[in-house]
Amino acid sequence: MDAHSNFQQHVEPDTIARLKGGDLTAFESVYRQFERAAWTLALRLTGRADVAQEVLQDSMLKAFERARQYRGDAPFAAWLRKLVVNESLMQLRHDRLHVIEVFDDDTLGDDSAPQPWTSADAATLDRALNRLPDDARAVLWLYHVEGFTHVEIAREFGRSVSFSKSQLARGTKRLRELLQPRVEDTPCTIGSTTTA
Amino acid sequence: MHDRLDHHGMNDMSDEASLAAALRALPANTPPQEAWRNLSGRIGRRRAVRRTVWFTLPAAFAAGIALAFAWPHLNLRAPSPPSARVAQTPSSAKPHTGPVPDVAALQASSAKWQNWVQSLSHNGAPLDGRALASAVALQDRIGMVDLQLSAARSPAAAAGLWQQRITLLQQLGLLHLQPYAVAEQTHPAYNRVISM
Repeated sequence: MDAHSNFQQHVEPDTIARLKGGDLTAFESVYRQFERAAWTLALRLTGRADVAQEVLQDSMLKAFERARQYRGDAPFAAWLRKLVVNESLMQLRHDRLHVIEVFDDDTLGDDSAPQPWTSADAATLDRALNRLPDDARAVLWLYHVEGFTHVEIAREFGRSVSFSKSQLARGTKRLRELLQPRVEDTPCTIGSTTTA
Repeated sequence: MHDRLDHHGMNDMSDEASLAAALRALPANTPPQEAWRNLSGRIGRRRAVRRTVWFTLPAAFAAGIALAFAWPHLNLRAPSPPSARVAQTPSSAKPHTGPVPDVAALQASSAKWQNWVQSLSHNGAPLDGRALASAVALQDRIGMVDLQLSAARSPAAAAGLWQQRITLLQQLGLLHLQPYAVAEQTHPAYNRVISM
């Protein structure tokens, strides 16, 4: 798992054993440990708080009820993250709650332009991210933050590797465009000089 | 600004690396306060349902076996109508020209038919919309006959009204027998009434 992922956390074997035994206290400690990571991931992938809440509930419920199925081959956090990703993508596939924004290559920004996200504050970047099409936003997040490879993303989406690469490239371009200041936002200085 | 992203040394980074850094720097979100309460409540309800199923399943299984053995001995048929002997009285509501019938006997017969209709309506299948409308119309007509009976001046007029009441009760009984007739077209009680 990528070192930058919010899921990069260790869970005590004793807690996992108790969770497998259906111990609600152990489950609460796991929930508290991962609630922010799971919520943030669900929110980034689905783009909507109400859907993310459903994802959080359903994936955590599955973690509790299917804890016995966790064999310990991978870190527990990676297993839990997979549940959240699966649930989020399932919501995206089945509900298609968002208006799907179609990429229009003619209007995409210039690739050679400076990286606007380097000067954007968190709120601006957050808003721009939410304006991306669902698939592009989810691919960007899984690739850059969760450290998924294109092969892994393609598998999660049930699509090809080129789908993942294409969504990443287009999502990046669109994000650049969204973060670049528009012409009408630039202050007009003509005639603004004052005469003595 | 406290939410300003940290961009030290990012000018030299590639698009990919700088975007990854910017996205990772976004603060993690916290789920709504009630999320855990909802989740634990959901787990509690699911556990309660499972417990109920596990406790009631053996009882339901035993009841099913008992019902299978008892089924041939159960009498699930409609209540039988009063003796057809009463129906041999004239069924016309027209004024009698012959000997005056026994009003007391007709009263008793009417009471029996009424009891039969009541037992059918209490124990039988619910009427569909059309049958229900017909039943209400018949009950209205019975009410009108009762009103006329209270004002009847001669035994002959009373006898005609009582006979009319019996006919209406028989029609009402037939309405309640319709569900039985659908299930068992050769129901003996149904045939008996038809032959009156």
